[in-house]
Amino acid sequence: MAYNFKEVARKPERFTGGHRMCAGCGAPVVIRQILRALKPEDHAVISAATGCLEVSTFLYPYSAWKDSFIHSAFENAAATISGAEAAYNGMRRRGKLDQEGETKFIAFGGDGGTYDIGIQALSGAMERGHDMVYVCYDNGAYMNTGIQRSSATPMFADTTTSPVGRESQGKNQRKKDLTEIMVNHHIPYVAQTAAIGNLKDLYEKAEKAIYTKGPAFLNVLAPCPRGWRYEASDLMQINKLAVDTCFWPLYEVVEGKYTVNYKPKNKLPVVEFLKAQGRFRHLFKKGNEELLDMIQKEVDRRWERLLSLEASN
Amino acid sequence: MGEKLLMSGNEVIAEAAIRAGCRFYFGYPITPQTEIAHYLAKRMPEAGGTFLQAESEIAAINMVYGASAAGARAMTSSSSPGISLKQECISYLAGAELPAVIVNIVRCGPGLGGILPAQCDYFQAVKGGGHGDYKMVVLAPCSVQELYELTVEAFNIADRYRVTVMIMGDGILGQMMEIVEFRDEEEIFNADKSWALTGTGMKRENNFITSIYINPEVLEAHNRKLQQKYREIERNECRVEVYNCENADVIVAAFGTVARIVKNVIKQAEREGIKVGLIRPITLWPFPNEAFLKYAQVPRAFLTVELNAGQMLEDVKLALNGANKTYFYGRMGGMIPAQKEILDEIKKIMEK
Repeated sequence: MAYNFKEVARKPERFTGGHRMCAGCGAPVVIRQILRALKPEDHAVISAATGCLEVSTFLYPYSAWKDSFIHSAFENAAATISGAEAAYNGMRRRGKLDQEGETKFIAFGGDGGTYDIGIQALSGAMERGHDMVYVCYDNGAYMNTGIQRSSATPMFADTTTSPVGRESQGKNQRKKDLTEIMVNHHIPYVAQTAAIGNLKDLYEKAEKAIYTKGPAFLNVLAPCPRGWRYEASDLMQINKLAVDTCFWPLYEVVEGKYTVNYKPKNKLPVVEFLKAQGRFRHLFKKGNEELLDMIQKEVDRRWERLLSLEASN
Repeated sequence: MGEKLLMSGNEVIAEAAIRAGCRFYFGYPITPQTEIAHYLAKRMPEAGGTFLQAESEIAAINMVYGASAAGARAMTSSSSPGISLKQECISYLAGAELPAVIVNIVRCGPGLGGILPAQCDYFQAVKGGGHGDYKMVVLAPCSVQELYELTVEAFNIADRYRVTVMIMGDGILGQMMEIVEFRDEEEIFNADKSWALTGTGMKRENNFITSIYINPEVLEAHNRKLQQKYREIERNECRVEVYNCENADVIVAAFGTVARIVKNVIKQAEREGIKVGLIRPITLWPFPNEAFLKYAQVPRAFLTVELNAGQMLEDVKLALNGANKTYFYGRMGGMIPAQKEILDEIKKIMEK
């Protein structure tokens, strides 16, 4: 069935309003749309790593989640959901479940809880092959504790633990490519997406991830107005710029086969994405042209590599 | 004395580490101590040191292990859930006899708990949170000034005995701003670190740092040696503040933040004709048993007040060894006792 935004938006919300995420935060937009991809008759068990999303949406007895929700600690969302999925399978095997519809297992983690401290649990869960989806909402730093750098922070971004000053131009290291790490787990479905336009790309990838048997991984860009320093109303524009500059390519890998889902007709220079954010302001000082050039080269290199991976399918 | 500044407790810990000659800090974000990392991310490069943010608390403490093995003064900091993750390596540090300083700005538990102040990690710190028969020195400051002085001291103690020293505070101490007066120069214990792994340069036998001893006789001897060292620390490093205990009707035992509240209770009680004393252990291990023994017979009873369900209470009881009655008052979950609550407990004891 072709994607129809109006119809999708009319589905009952499984991630409700009233949570405490910031205005202009990318994460709740992403979460709502992903959960809309669930069939209304299906159930979901949600696990979340410690982070903004978890502390802002689930302070018992208040919960923004219509589905079952489990949180244990920072490093283990993937392990926790693995256990829940294993228990569910065991109970079903012994005929102890007689509910209608399927039960889906979805874990959410920020980049700190996924790229860094949670990567061991994530890798283990994917390799074991649980029927689950792990969603990383990547906002490129530890936003919950006050904007510390993570391995997902882009090069030269200003954070509280990679501060810009006399000795430093922000984070000195490249951003880790987690999507490729997950591709190399050779699981059935891996995709990178973002909330752009009518959210079609995000929805369709969520649907595939959820309804593909076995482990699936989604890496979703989730801009943060506080950490990235943009106006709340600019969220969708920032998402669009990330994609149009090929800083955050939209692609998927199904059984090892690459498809780049969006190739901008007019690939914008990465400065268009960078200058929209306060965390890169220092790069536009005179004398830092070289740094901008380095970022552009890195974006180009990764984009070209991706295109060649698609071409060599 | 040197310059006087108004600073938060977390910043002071960070600055004190630099002044104590620490040039390697390995951190990971967790509330309410992340300001230590923020401060050192800026300050370490200026001081020619290294600030590294690890990918997890486990990685951070193991970086400390590596730096310490190379002979450096190294520190990590975290808060309760993060300290739990570090326990494995804390045991390894003890086994390998590597000096290290660990800051725990305690928050209320168990589990994810909350981010508010608590003293519920007392057992974990004092009785050994990791595996094996080991001890670490635990320092419990009660002011920003003391955070400064004890942080410097922590590095000296760590180097002197090749042990781990923990500075245990809470969110009140970490986040609170107070005046701190820095010394112009710190007294730094100049340890012989000929054991460190610095490369032989083909000029000496290679050094070896380990905590694995497969031969049981050798491992027992190693354990005996550790225990001997711990006895020496008990003899030399006990620190305690004894306040107003002569002729006291009731002596309160409290550490850290709670001791500050108790000092105000003492004034209030005095106005009501009750003489209250305070024994404030500054080292939670080694525990100041002698101070308790000295005053064991003085008051009608002892009252231990803590931000937990009664942990130091057990050490107070062991110290008194039945010589006097002991009572307990505690708040948990980030609740802080008001002065009146503590005074009411004292009055109840007076009526008994």
